[in-house]
Amino acid sequence: MATSPISDKVRTSGWEFITKTVDKRAIMKAAPKDPREELAELEAKGEVKVIHITEENRPIEVETLLGRTKRIPTNKLWHHKSCGQCGNIPGYPTSIMWFMNKLGLEFLDETHQTSCTAWNYHGSGTSNLVALASVAVRNWHRAYETGYFPLIHCGTSFGNYKEMRNLLIEHKDLRDEVRRIMAKVGRELVIPEEIVHYSEWLHVLRHQIAALKIHDLSSIITTVHPACHVWKLVPEDVIYDPNIYGGQRPAPTTAILLALGAQVADYSTWYDCCGFGFRHILTEREFSRSFSLERKIKVMVEEANSDVAITQDTGCTTTLDKNQWIGKAHGYNYELPVMADVQFAALAAGADPYKVVQIQWHTSGWEKLLDKMGVDWRTSKAEYEAYLEELKAGREPEQLYVPPVENLNLH
Amino acid sequence: MSEEAVMTHLRLDPDNVGEQDAESLLEAIKGDVRYEEVIHGCLNCGVCSGSCPSHRFFDYSPRIVVQTVLSGDAQAVKDMMDEYIWACAQCYTCAMRCPFHNSPGGLVMIMREVAVWRGMEAVHRLLKPYGRVLLKVLSIGNQLTPDMIQPDFFPDWGPKIPWSSTDLAIKRKAIPVYTLQVTTSAWRVSPQTSYELYTIYEETGVFRLIEQIDPNLYEVVSDMVEDLRDTIESSR
Repeated sequence: MATSPISDKVRTSGWEFITKTVDKRAIMKAAPKDPREELAELEAKGEVKVIHITEENRPIEVETLLGRTKRIPTNKLWHHKSCGQCGNIPGYPTSIMWFMNKLGLEFLDETHQTSCTAWNYHGSGTSNLVALASVAVRNWHRAYETGYFPLIHCGTSFGNYKEMRNLLIEHKDLRDEVRRIMAKVGRELVIPEEIVHYSEWLHVLRHQIAALKIHDLSSIITTVHPACHVWKLVPEDVIYDPNIYGGQRPAPTTAILLALGAQVADYSTWYDCCGFGFRHILTEREFSRSFSLERKIKVMVEEANSDVAITQDTGCTTTLDKNQWIGKAHGYNYELPVMADVQFAALAAGADPYKVVQIQWHTSGWEKLLDKMGVDWRTSKAEYEAYLEELKAGREPEQLYVPPVENLNLH
Repeated sequence: MSEEAVMTHLRLDPDNVGEQDAESLLEAIKGDVRYEEVIHGCLNCGVCSGSCPSHRFFDYSPRIVVQTVLSGDAQAVKDMMDEYIWACAQCYTCAMRCPFHNSPGGLVMIMREVAVWRGMEAVHRLLKPYGRVLLKVLSIGNQLTPDMIQPDFFPDWGPKIPWSSTDLAIKRKAIPVYTLQVTTSAWRVSPQTSYELYTIYEETGVFRLIEQIDPNLYEVVSDMVEDLRDTIESSR
């Protein structure tokens, strides 16, 4: 239905109010203290150890929401993997490692990591602040003792670790409790200088990554779903760039898509969540299905004519991808491919869609998109199926990366 | 700070499961170290509810949660903890938009934690479908693993899901990263790592909580913990 000029005007003014006034007004007028300055003070007093970003990490500087500088390490990184990605979207971490190999970057992926446990916390409440902070510090300390800097793959881990860092800095009694528990497991209280999400790593290396592109993406219309726990939890730590939506929206993901030469289309519900809900995806499925379809997929397709929804986090990729088929029961016949920014970039750079990008685990039809991108997935599929047979017959698997033996400790 | 004060301030005592007096619940919420950071006042403007995903689909409003807690009506807060607050999707859009820097989502998280650690009736019902996640998170620290994606559990995810669970071991082996070539965990987790995680759960009262609110799950988990501890300690 066509809208009247008056309602358009109202809608536009409301839109500006949301995007330009409300979202940034509160935080810009009363900027919170920079936790990194307080961390440096604690370090100077000998109260905590800090995992520093060194020259070896080849950091690149960016600006965050409040104009503060954030240093993003690009090399010698410790993969803090995501359980939702590794368990359900395996092409997500493999694409990150594939790019690191391509760019000749050093990294460590090993077995001494736990999840952040924050998905469970948000969903069920069966944890507490001390447990969450202890899990975070245990993982940070493990990275610290290897000499690699932690790179957080999951958006919820990223948001949670920023919260834990801030709370640890603010509360001595929390530090004391965590320190006591760390002593019991033979570890120390350490806090990273920056909490870094993989999408930030991808963002600062976007031009190097775009230089690896072999497919023309100029006809591909993408829509971006910024992940809530990436940009709404501790929002002052998120990267903004005046060249991306006038600095009014987070820059990562949109910026790499533009660098790759794809079109990025706007849509009115960009700020909405995906419908994951933490417990909802398991126990309130009607909500996850309805919300992802009504507020995201439908809008991306109908407003933006999107070819692909690009994500930057775990639960969002799953929720948007898996909840489309059931919509057919209510006449929603959308089939919008969903994948992470790094998977899309890997496809553009010629990564094998089956063996590296592991696109076969995604449920919403991606075949038309790959055809439009010029990616030969049919040959890849045939090779993958033959490879599965070889593995069944006892062939050793191919590896992008095998951890050094001393980092396994598998008993 | 005394042990008791730390317990109230940073975490609740799992042995207080069952203490459900309304005033005591509200006191636990307001006593949480994070409370002062998530609530600074409330204009009752409703911006939070206007952007809340759950508000669109449930009888749920973050504005009402904040207003009720600020009103000091302990019984109304208790009633809300039983079911109402569990509709929140934890997206923190409310926190991003609140002109007062409130985080209604953060307040809900404190209320959920109190509801669970005091063993409120609804929690048993709400956590029931959550058992598989809890078992994984307590035993290996992962929350989702490849073998959890089964057509029986996700029939609404469409006809491609059976592919994901067929020949799973071989398909996982075909992922070209050594740590991911497993089926019962998201990645290979070293026993030493689980061993350390168990100490964290023990020291923070999480195991004791599970023992109180889900004895059957605790029995399964404690067997795993014991086995792993025996293995690690005998190898030293």
